[in-house]
Amino acid sequence: MPPLLDLQHIHVAGRDQPRLHDVTLGITAGERVALLGPSGAGKSTLLAVANGLLTPEAGTVLWSGEPPARSPRLRRRQRARIGTLWQDLRLIEELTVQQNLNAARLARWGWPRALLNLLLPLESEANAAALEQVGLGAELLACSVAALSGGQRQRVAIARLLRQEPQLLLADEPLASLDPRLATELLELLLRQAEAPRALLLSLHRPDLLRGFDRVVGLRRGRLLFDRPMAFLATSELEALLAELYRGEAVGLMP
Amino acid sequence: MSTAPLSQPYPLALLRPAAPLLPLLPALVLLPVLALLPGLVHGGGWDLIGRFALAALTPSLDPVVIQAALAGLAITLGMALLGWIASLALGVVLGLASSRVVWQVCGGCRWPAGMIRRLLALPRSIHELLWGLLLLQLVGLQPVVAVLAIAIPYGALVARVLADLLDGLDSRRLEALRSAGAPAPAALLTALGPPLLPGLLSYGGYRLECALRSATLLGVFGLGGLGTDLKLTLQSLEFRELWTGLWLLLAVMLTLETLLGWLRRRWLMPRRLDLRRGGVGGRGREMLLLLLALPPLALLVGRALGVDPQALLHGQPLPGLDSADWAGVWALPWLQLVAGTLLLTLLAAALAVGLAPLQLLLAGPGRWGQGVLRFSWALGRLWPPPLTALLLLFLLQPGVITAALALGFHNLGILGRLLLESSEDVGPAVEEALSCAGSGPRLALLYGRLSPMARPYLAYGAYRADVMLRETVVVGLVGAAGLGSQLLESLSAFAWDQVLALVAVYALLTLAGEELSDRLRRSLLAGH
Repeated sequence: MPPLLDLQHIHVAGRDQPRLHDVTLGITAGERVALLGPSGAGKSTLLAVANGLLTPEAGTVLWSGEPPARSPRLRRRQRARIGTLWQDLRLIEELTVQQNLNAARLARWGWPRALLNLLLPLESEANAAALEQVGLGAELLACSVAALSGGQRQRVAIARLLRQEPQLLLADEPLASLDPRLATELLELLLRQAEAPRALLLSLHRPDLLRGFDRVVGLRRGRLLFDRPMAFLATSELEALLAELYRGEAVGLMP
Repeated sequence: MSTAPLSQPYPLALLRPAAPLLPLLPALVLLPVLALLPGLVHGGGWDLIGRFALAALTPSLDPVVIQAALAGLAITLGMALLGWIASLALGVVLGLASSRVVWQVCGGCRWPAGMIRRLLALPRSIHELLWGLLLLQLVGLQPVVAVLAIAIPYGALVARVLADLLDGLDSRRLEALRSAGAPAPAALLTALGPPLLPGLLSYGGYRLECALRSATLLGVFGLGGLGTDLKLTLQSLEFRELWTGLWLLLAVMLTLETLLGWLRRRWLMPRRLDLRRGGVGGRGREMLLLLLALPPLALLVGRALGVDPQALLHGQPLPGLDSADWAGVWALPWLQLVAGTLLLTLLAAALAVGLAPLQLLLAGPGRWGQGVLRFSWALGRLWPPPLTALLLLFLLQPGVITAALALGFHNLGILGRLLLESSEDVGPAVEEALSCAGSGPRLALLYGRLSPMARPYLAYGAYRADVMLRETVVVGLVGAAGLGSQLLESLSAFAWDQVLALVAVYALLTLAGEELSDRLRRSLLAGH
């Protein structure tokens, strides 16, 4: 089976230096990959290439072995298989939790259902189940997103990701600006979701949260510095790699 | 779709469509309008409309025609500029005089502010066309008539906005300066001047765009400039010459809008939806220089146009008021007239407010669709509604719906531009996220872009509906369309008693409408 995500020799130009240079990365079903790097290393750019938001100047992007589809219909189907957890969450503040969760289904729905979703509660059971998976109660469904707390928003965003039922989960620093307990909890939640046939690529800049990942990828100044399976990585070796990765950066290393 | 355990809060949800649907709901008015339209078509006129449309591609390039259009355009532009500058001067003076903060600081009491504010409602509630026609009667056809017709209502509007801005500002700095012993005028200028300037200039810029439209409109009713030429060429079916003028006007309007938009961005000024947002714009010196350049500019333009303020002194009273027939005035079908006006306003407002987001949705976020929209909306803003009305009369019978279509088309252009502007403010993040998850471009637009814009847009729509109520007079020439038609009829019959009564009723109606739209706007903005 082809890898869910296959990036080959990706190059993205930047103002002074390339934002990504000759990056090759493949992720197969069942893999949980942590993407590490100091800020400005190109993690967000890499994720934008991976979810199709950004078309690289050079290199090949394949999703399950297919290049980006030409026809809009096929392209939408392709995109529906990739779910992104955005750093700024990108929930629709003015809508209810229920409507936000259903927004993840828009790729599969036609206009009638999409409009009905703005009038009536649709698919409440599936939405309640998704909320339960992220540890929230079904009573939140009717709440407006604007009324939620920060932690609740994070969870709703993950629940929306679940409702999309993607194969490839991408997450752009989902744990930044969260308190340590919540960060660990949400990370575990995401890792649990990413069992085969799914896969997860998650960017981090805190190297202390690597437990539970299968692979760790280091990105520095747009270049891939290392790409190693966690299982065969001694702690001392990992520390050496991280020291190289964060050389000259003011970021705390392993605890 | 089982909702058994969760059904408690939902019966209400049925009555409350979600945010992105709200701005689309007024477009439902299309259904009855489209259903009634076939009955209004009188059969002829299609060849005329065809010729009109074809002439758009082949405007007259005769140097004489172009020269005449340019001359007319220069007069219209001059009238707009002069009226606008006068309205700014008037507005600043009156705005200060109707601000509670100013009275508090300078006089120690607040009540005169409220009184002046209430008095200013009257000039504001009367459309510039009415001012123009009344002044025309009083002092004859003079360039100063158009200028004053713009300056009076606009000045009162600027005064209201300025006073609202002043009273809405944080007054703590002012109090600090006062308690430090600064004299009142100096304290006012220092504390409130800088935060006020960007909002005022931004609003002033929009008023200049409006002034250009008003000056064109006044021309259509015979007060000179390009508008007069447009109407004459339309009535004599010289469509190719008509389009020469229209294209030139479009070029000027788009240039002006682009220029003002550029200045607004350069000075980081707040947008129309929220004048209070944003602090002191940068480049205060440039702003002041621009302001200082206005009076000499006004003098130059005034001389070129031959504006003579002294003409105002040689006015004549309205004839025939001593032999007024008040019983005849009373016998007018008032109920019908008022109902017609209100119906016309509601129809036009619903069409304009609802169609703009609907068209945006149908055109989609693609570059081509947006380009077509921008162009058609620019044409709508450009076209004075009475000309659209005349054009529609080639096809349709006179009546409220015909008038509403003309008025709605014009305001659609204004609302559409605002919609695009505020959708730039919203930013693409949420729409992008939805597209990335595989939803189609139009659904992403509906969910991601219309959601945050819905309430502020509708709040502006409420304000616009109030403007449209005032504007119903300009499509009065369609006939059978409420107070406006009656007013134009009474004017052409020189029945000044009727005219005065109609203007008074108009003013009352507008004031009530203003109150209503204010409330609607506040509840829309508070309803998050």
